[in-house]
Amino acid sequence: MKNGLVNITRRHVFRSLSYTVLFDTFIALVLTGIKFGGGFVDNFIISQCIGISICSFALTGLYLFRPVKPFFMLVVVMIAIIIGTVVGWIIGSIAAGLPISLFEQRFIAVMILGIMFGSIISYFFSYRERISQSEALIQEERIKRLANEKEMAETNLRFLQAQIEPHFLFNTLSNILSLLDADLERGKSMLTDFIHYLRTAIPKTRGETTTIGQEMEMIQAYLNIFKVRMGDRLGYRLDIPDTIKVYPFPPMLIQPLVENAIRHGLEPKIEGGELFIRGEKKGDMIRLEIIDTGMGFNEGEDTGVGLSNVRERLQSLYGGKGRLILEENRPSGLKAIIEVPHDAD
Amino acid sequence: MTQTKAVIVDDENQLRVHLKSLLLELWPDLIICGEARNGQEALELIEKHRPDIAFLDIRMPGLSGMEVAKRIMGSCWVVFITAYDKYAVEAFENEAIDYLLKPITHKRLEKAITRLQKQIAASIRPPSDMSEIIEQAIARLYKKEKPGYLRWLKTQHGDGIRLVPVDEVCYFKASDKYTLVLTKEGESLIKKAIKELADELDPNQFWRIHRGTIVNAHYITKVSRSLTGRGVVKLKDRPELLAVSRSYIHIFKQM
Repeated sequence: MKNGLVNITRRHVFRSLSYTVLFDTFIALVLTGIKFGGGFVDNFIISQCIGISICSFALTGLYLFRPVKPFFMLVVVMIAIIIGTVVGWIIGSIAAGLPISLFEQRFIAVMILGIMFGSIISYFFSYRERISQSEALIQEERIKRLANEKEMAETNLRFLQAQIEPHFLFNTLSNILSLLDADLERGKSMLTDFIHYLRTAIPKTRGETTTIGQEMEMIQAYLNIFKVRMGDRLGYRLDIPDTIKVYPFPPMLIQPLVENAIRHGLEPKIEGGELFIRGEKKGDMIRLEIIDTGMGFNEGEDTGVGLSNVRERLQSLYGGKGRLILEENRPSGLKAIIEVPHDAD
Repeated sequence: MTQTKAVIVDDENQLRVHLKSLLLELWPDLIICGEARNGQEALELIEKHRPDIAFLDIRMPGLSGMEVAKRIMGSCWVVFITAYDKYAVEAFENEAIDYLLKPITHKRLEKAITRLQKQIAASIRPPSDMSEIIEQAIARLYKKEKPGYLRWLKTQHGDGIRLVPVDEVCYFKASDKYTLVLTKEGESLIKKAIKELADELDPNQFWRIHRGTIVNAHYITKVSRSLTGRGVVKLKDRPELLAVSRSYIHIFKQM
């Protein structure tokens, strides 16, 4: 936190001045106690003037020069103590109605006392400042950690509560029901695909991790269902090399993007379109692309929820290392790219 | 008396086949004079055949079933078919328009048929003043999708266009007629003046702190105030400090 002292706040000024007044009173009492100077009232006036003057010069100096290095800060404070003592003594002497003579012995004693007490108080202030800064830093870290934990818990909860889209559920069941009369074999195979999809889509029946290959099998089942439903309007292609199919991968990260492409891209388009899923390994990253030639992005449509869930899960699983990129596909549609780090095996 | 004619409109082939076979079974005298796969085709088909009944799926590419119904009101009886939009079709409860939920059951379809047969036998004209109820249903159906505050930005990236969620933007900075978008990952430009952008962003989340700066409040980690009253804002994931101009400092006053 470089800007700790750069920005001197009003609270800063108020606090420093109050402490200074307190210390000055204490100094006046001590000096009177050791029979220095003219008596308590004179000592009180002069020590207050010197103290407040030093404090003002030090704060002004720190504010104007904004020293960052400790040495430079020390120089600024020392100069402030010297100037502050002289100026404070002159003002204090006038206020107390005492003669001002810079060549008097008393002045030298005051200078020594001013520098001595000034240094002690400055040291006290800088010590306090360091403590409050490190406390603030700890506090900030704690808040950050708590916010992080909260975010992660929320993401997990949303992930667990993720529901099967009701339109998909009932339309699929309608299709299966009608196929049971018309084409029993196709009906059976659609039901099998649906069960395969449900196994992964229902949180309680899926595992913590899966492989890219298993995830692709589920997506294949999901697309088979849509092929029956959309007929010629849907074309799709999966191009995932066998070498990356064995890699572990979090479940339900690719699926929401495929669902998004169908639901918002291809299904609402009269002539339908193509879906293309491809994957590759790039250095120590795995890159998966889900490309559709559908309606493309349309502001105002309800596309955000699934996508922001994927984003949040990537964030909580990989920190800054995993990401989702969305691009406009040419000539139409959307391209979603997931990049996640892959632990070298 | 002429025979009753009907059209079936659904974007899914299998579901048209299914409804057709159910109707054949439960209402053998009904003539299915045509099938359509989307709203546009439905309008053409109805124009051409002038059927007595239209079975309309609600969610279809292009024109929705509701929009088709609005345009053919008065010319034929409408039965909506939907997988899940019960909350939208409930508006038609006790009205002249009927609806069926998918998967369509024998029992429910029989009930709909009986109702239609009664209405047609009594020579009642299909209702022509339903547009208000249909408008309400459409509003309910697309409630969630009405455009609110801006949620995505189309930014130029390389030779492509990237979509960035506004939630990920740390802050916006004016740059002539354009606006610089700064995120954790870097910066990009959008072809929109900051003044115009300010009107489209959620004011609870995006705060203007300077004539040329709008910050995402979710990213603010520290606000400090100097002796001269100048405010300085520090954001998460960004190294720079942003100045708050005097006219906007009141935002932070209560803190």
